[in-house]
Amino acid sequence: MDIGFLAQYLMNGLMLGMIYALVAVGFTLFFGVLDVIKFSHGDVLTVGAFAGLATFLGLEAAGISHPAIQILIVVIVSIVLIAALGAVIARTIVLPIRSAPPLNTLLITLMLGTVLREAVRLFYPQGANPQPFPALLPTNSLTLGNFNLRLDNVIMLVAGVAVIVGTQLLLNRTKLGLAIRAVAQDEETARTMGVNFTLIVLITFALGSGLAAFAGLMNGLYYNEINFGMGLLLGAIGFSSAIVGGLGNIYGAILGGFLFAGLQTIGAVALPFASAYKDVFAFGVIIAIMAWRPTGLIQEKISERV
Amino acid sequence: MSKADTSGLQVSDVYTAYDKADVLEGVNLEAKPGKITCLLGSNGSGKSTLIRSILGLTPPNRGNITFEGIELRGLPTHKVIATGISCIPEGRQVFPKLTVEENLRIGAYQEDSAGEIQRRFDEVYETFPRLADRKAQLAGTMSGGEQAMVSIGRGLMRAPKLLLIDEPSLGLAPLLVKENFNIIRRINQQGITVFLVEQNVHQTLAISDYGYVLSKGRVVASGTPKQLSKTKEVHEAYFG
Ligand SMILES: Nc1ncnc2c1ncn2[C@@H]1O[C@H](COP(=O)(O)OP(=O)(O)O)[C@@H](O)[C@H]1O
Ligand SMILES: [Mg+2]
Repeated sequence: MDIGFLAQYLMNGLMLGMIYALVAVGFTLFFGVLDVIKFSHGDVLTVGAFAGLATFLGLEAAGISHPAIQILIVVIVSIVLIAALGAVIARTIVLPIRSAPPLNTLLITLMLGTVLREAVRLFYPQGANPQPFPALLPTNSLTLGNFNLRLDNVIMLVAGVAVIVGTQLLLNRTKLGLAIRAVAQDEETARTMGVNFTLIVLITFALGSGLAAFAGLMNGLYYNEINFGMGLLLGAIGFSSAIVGGLGNIYGAILGGFLFAGLQTIGAVALPFASAYKDVFAFGVIIAIMAWRPTGLIQEKISERV
Repeated sequence: MSKADTSGLQVSDVYTAYDKADVLEGVNLEAKPGKITCLLGSNGSGKSTLIRSILGLTPPNRGNITFEGIELRGLPTHKVIATGISCIPEGRQVFPKLTVEENLRIGAYQEDSAGEIQRRFDEVYETFPRLADRKAQLAGTMSGGEQAMVSIGRGLMRAPKLLLIDEPSLGLAPLLVKENFNIIRRINQQGITVFLVEQNVHQTLAISDYGYVLSKGRVVASGTPKQLSKTKEVHEAYFG
């Protein structure tokens, strides 16, 4: 195979890995603080992408057409809106049913996901059809043989790395992050230390949902198209990535996201069957890894649960 | 017991239950400011439940709990802590995947001044030089005795007015138990009011100013250590 093609696939894999990792980190954060699986996470991402698109159309209608301003406002509006949506979901749905069995949370958020998805389909104008997503970033490109390095992809990768590193720093270097980690390890003792548990949960859900909005925008900018069902597969992949990395572990979620993208890429490039089977291949390998390591790749060294 | 004196900790007629069964059935007691007050009682008598009731982790169904005149019942735990209380919980409960330093840091969660936090770090490291050498170690990988130091240090990082301590000697070697009691005495000498829950009668009474005996969710005896060491309730509560 040509080295240029390989580079192209590598770039594609990195973009997808970044998107998956961002979604997976959300799953792992929610599980960390509340021990719940929030299945509506993928559809929250969809809402984020559509909120971004609607913001763009609004800006166009208002005559604001400077691309740098557009992208800035689209990103901010989408992230803030979806962070708020995440906190509202936590406050009104996830927290009230805390004492119920975890399966209930899973089912109820699964239904909530359907509601969000259908709401986009029914209420967004022409929501049932795929929507073109504008190229808001400069699309200049550098062609090296078969490899076409696009500036917008580079910008997105850099921004994605910045967001993931920023999230890491937030969790590991700030007082808020300390509180989130403490709540994740032992809710009751964290409260005994004076941590406002409810507030930390809401902030964590806002953070995870904001990351999903960012991933949704990346997805739209990368494919230049979004649709109401995009969150279904992204949610499933993000969830699998979080699980395979070791649910509750941030590094595991990031690793899992890039692993999944890597598997898809291998499935598309290196295997003898058609690239349409890449998801089948990737999920198949994930299942095999889970059978081999049921608690995920990065195992908890210290069990804090009794 | 429920006199007009509103300083210190006042527990009046507290009933607390898990699900349905009452565990505390009308507990009355008081921890006077500046003193060490102990609560003795055998396993399962409801001592930890009283601590949980004070902290709002298991809110009481009836009764009143006040600290410096502020009603604590009904407050969320972080607001209880904000009144100047901190707790060294039963079983130490260090955060296993936080470092020693992070465990201590979160003890001062409600303190905003960086200078003040640093001052408390210095104090705790002076009391427990061993922790200063292990700042970066994950607390979950430490020995029981070292975890006890982390838990006590974490409680002190709050610079509390009232310190609740739940069975500090549980599971520790006798030498460490003795050291622990010495530390509690020193903490109290710095002016911190101590409410100490214990099963270890003799060493507890030796450092306490006043004590109560809890049996099956009720206070069955109270008095000075001298009075208590003579009462039959103390013996019954443990051996009866
Ligand atoms: N989380 C809980 N749920 C139900 N019952 C509990 C719980 N914690 C304690 N109990 C019960 O409450 C009683 C008092 O327990 P506890 O307050 O822990 O006693 P102590 O600290 O004096 O050993 C015991 O009978 C115990 O079984
Ligand atoms: Mg106890």
